[in-house]
Amino acid sequence: MDIFSGLLHGFSVALQPANLFWCFVGCFLGTVVGILPGLGPAATIALLLPLTFKMDPASGIIMLAGIYYGAKYGGSTTSILLNIPGESSSVVTCIDGHAMARNGRAGPALGIAAIASFVAGSVGIILLTVLAPPVALFALQFSSPEYFALMCLGLALVVLLSGPSLIKGLLSLLLGLWLTSIGTDLFTAQSRFIFGQPQLLGGMDFVVIAIGVFAIAEVMASIDAGDKARMLPVPKGLRNLLPSWEELKACRFAFVNGSITGFVIGVLPGAGAAISSFIAYGIEKAFSKHPEKFGHGAPEGVAAPEGANNADSGGALVPLLTLGIPGGGTTAIMLSALVLWGVKPGPLLMTESPDVFWGLVASMYIGNVVLLILNLPMVPVFAQILRMPVHILFPIILGIALVGAYGVSGRLFDIGLLVGFGLLGYVMVKLKYPTPPLILGFVLGDAMERALRQSLTMSQGDLSILVRGWISATMLILAIVILLLPLFGRFNQARMKAIAEGG
Amino acid sequence: MRRCWVPLLAALALLTASAGPAQAQFKPVRTVEFVVHGGPGSGNDVFARQLATIIEQDKLAPVRFQVVNKPGGGSTSAAGYVVSKKGDQHVIACFTNIWLLDPLVQQAAVNRLHDMSPIARLVVEPALVVVLADSPFKTLGQFIEAAKANPGKLRWSGGSITSRENTVRQLLMQVTGARWQFISFPSGGERLAALLGGHVEMMIVDPSEAGEQIRAGKFRAIAQVSERRLPGFQDIPTIKEAGFDIPNVPQMRGVVGAPGMSAEAVAYYEDLFFKVSQTPAWKKFIEDSQLDGEFVRAAQVKPFLLSFEETLRDILKVAGAKVIR
Repeated sequence: MDIFSGLLHGFSVALQPANLFWCFVGCFLGTVVGILPGLGPAATIALLLPLTFKMDPASGIIMLAGIYYGAKYGGSTTSILLNIPGESSSVVTCIDGHAMARNGRAGPALGIAAIASFVAGSVGIILLTVLAPPVALFALQFSSPEYFALMCLGLALVVLLSGPSLIKGLLSLLLGLWLTSIGTDLFTAQSRFIFGQPQLLGGMDFVVIAIGVFAIAEVMASIDAGDKARMLPVPKGLRNLLPSWEELKACRFAFVNGSITGFVIGVLPGAGAAISSFIAYGIEKAFSKHPEKFGHGAPEGVAAPEGANNADSGGALVPLLTLGIPGGGTTAIMLSALVLWGVKPGPLLMTESPDVFWGLVASMYIGNVVLLILNLPMVPVFAQILRMPVHILFPIILGIALVGAYGVSGRLFDIGLLVGFGLLGYVMVKLKYPTPPLILGFVLGDAMERALRQSLTMSQGDLSILVRGWISATMLILAIVILLLPLFGRFNQARMKAIAEGG
Repeated sequence: MRRCWVPLLAALALLTASAGPAQAQFKPVRTVEFVVHGGPGSGNDVFARQLATIIEQDKLAPVRFQVVNKPGGGSTSAAGYVVSKKGDQHVIACFTNIWLLDPLVQQAAVNRLHDMSPIARLVVEPALVVVLADSPFKTLGQFIEAAKANPGKLRWSGGSITSRENTVRQLLMQVTGARWQFISFPSGGERLAALLGGHVEMMIVDPSEAGEQIRAGKFRAIAQVSERRLPGFQDIPTIKEAGFDIPNVPQMRGVVGAPGMSAEAVAYYEDLFFKVSQTPAWKKFIEDSQLDGEFVRAAQVKPFLLSFEETLRDILKVAGAKVIR
């Protein structure tokens, strides 16, 4: 079946009234899951799996996939409004999204997030439709040295996330790298830095850390500053609640960047949506004409990561549907769902179960439209939340933060961690240490260490394996270039300007 | 005196009357956490989700069974988590060999399987040694010869160092004198991708994970880790038949409860999983994935675990691992 007739067949499946209904249900649930921190798509799909047994496999996968990509739409809401990442893939959105909210542009930020999600999500599906088999082969080219180089490239972005002091940014990054090494080492099965706490054997969850150093720390810093005037301005009028034409125009490149970066990284089984959103943000800032605006409410800083995490959904389905390889927790559950319905996920899925494959792909085109329609009208409603006085808003933020951290794995221990990281974040804010590099180090450090050790085992300790392939060599060179950026040219002037402005 | 005896006796009678049936009829009242040590998509994870799904599909339990992934350090994180839930009647885990192995070889793995509450052993899993379909290695012997010619150049992908993949490798290296690398990947998906992409030359994988790839012509099985040939792979020799005299390393999967689980709760879960093992869905799963589905009850699991631990200890010593317990 060629692509065109396949897609046509897919739409004939996806447009059946029952399947349209399940697509809507999935998208709606996904949005809700995305908005609620701590409740992730993986847990929700596991929860709803028994309900799908009576369904046709095509309907079932259409609904479950709706939850999967729908959650990424909703994830930005609490990031922007409350500085609490709703999903791991929305951590980066906090940086500029919440800054926009502080500038009274919460509505436009939410609108841009929804539009970026729609554009990049759709591009991701188009790429999934036309490129799935060749792209899957590309993903298989990625071996440990390539993953190592990719993570290095990601870590080099610290330069762009650091703010005025590069040294402070690097220190923050190092702290993140250390935190990620806590737990049990895969290679030797020995524990590291657990300080006698068995709860630390499995390491820490980065949503807990992000909520702590972002949301809790900000609430504490605001209370400490004592200024009631810090109440967020929410201008009246619909025009101020939707993104302006200038803002959308500024995001042109971010839409493209988010789409491609998200899809390419999404295809790789060893990299998650959080990584793609970080890298898209970094690329956006590196190529921006006004990098100094990032971190202070640049709309591109919302569009790029939000686009990337949605394009990532399309990418992540490539290895799942063409090779039977799940890239992460959520796709793994979808894989076992397919098995339980009697569909055999693997290299033969596309030819043996065209209803499932093409029906799912077609439903995602519809789902993205559904999600845009679901999310855009909610923007003005959600933006009103910020009208609340701080003595009501702050307790709400703290409450959601606590529930979110607890919800990650249902351990009281995580609440303790949350408080600890809240304090750490507060101290960092006070001493003007940037917190995003810490999260960056934590997210990428683990995967980077693993990839390095796998590479060196493969080559018996020969470091040249890291630059032997053209993909890894290119990425490592790029990483070095980014690291050297601050020493040269326009970029440095921009940084100096930021320092002069006290940013 | 007589006046206070009556209510006391009545209370006693009530207590015994209510305690008896209430204990015998343990029923979970909230979501049961079903702990697995692998990341999502790993063999263990898929296995546990299959069990949980049959329980929900056939409404065998009044509550949901939520699979909880606790990867890290082989089974150490998961075992630590289960032990931290001591006395909890709603925490069970899916154990495999590695739960016995980890405490034998590493200091930090202090939580031993037989100190928890064994419920049942569900399956013994054979495995296949696979290479890419266009690989030059047609037999395990050819691989070993190539490894001898290029010491340390060839690679297997697998899980932690205490996994069966590595145990079999250690045993084979011991008897042949050949040497090759073992590359650890946290998830089953990444291990498959490493072989599919040609970044490693071989892997040991469950028939359930390899079956589709073989059917699609991507992988070729060259040996099986099993006592006897599997029905679906009659023409593939076992490792022993291939000429390598190493002890078979069976991979078992079973269910264990948190330490201090009441006898009634253990009996409840034992009965529950027995019911699961009798469902058509389970029997089909066993057949499709080519498993040995003999159900072993709680009373026999503990002595089995103790004796199997001895066997594993011997295997580990032969494999040259440092056994500390």
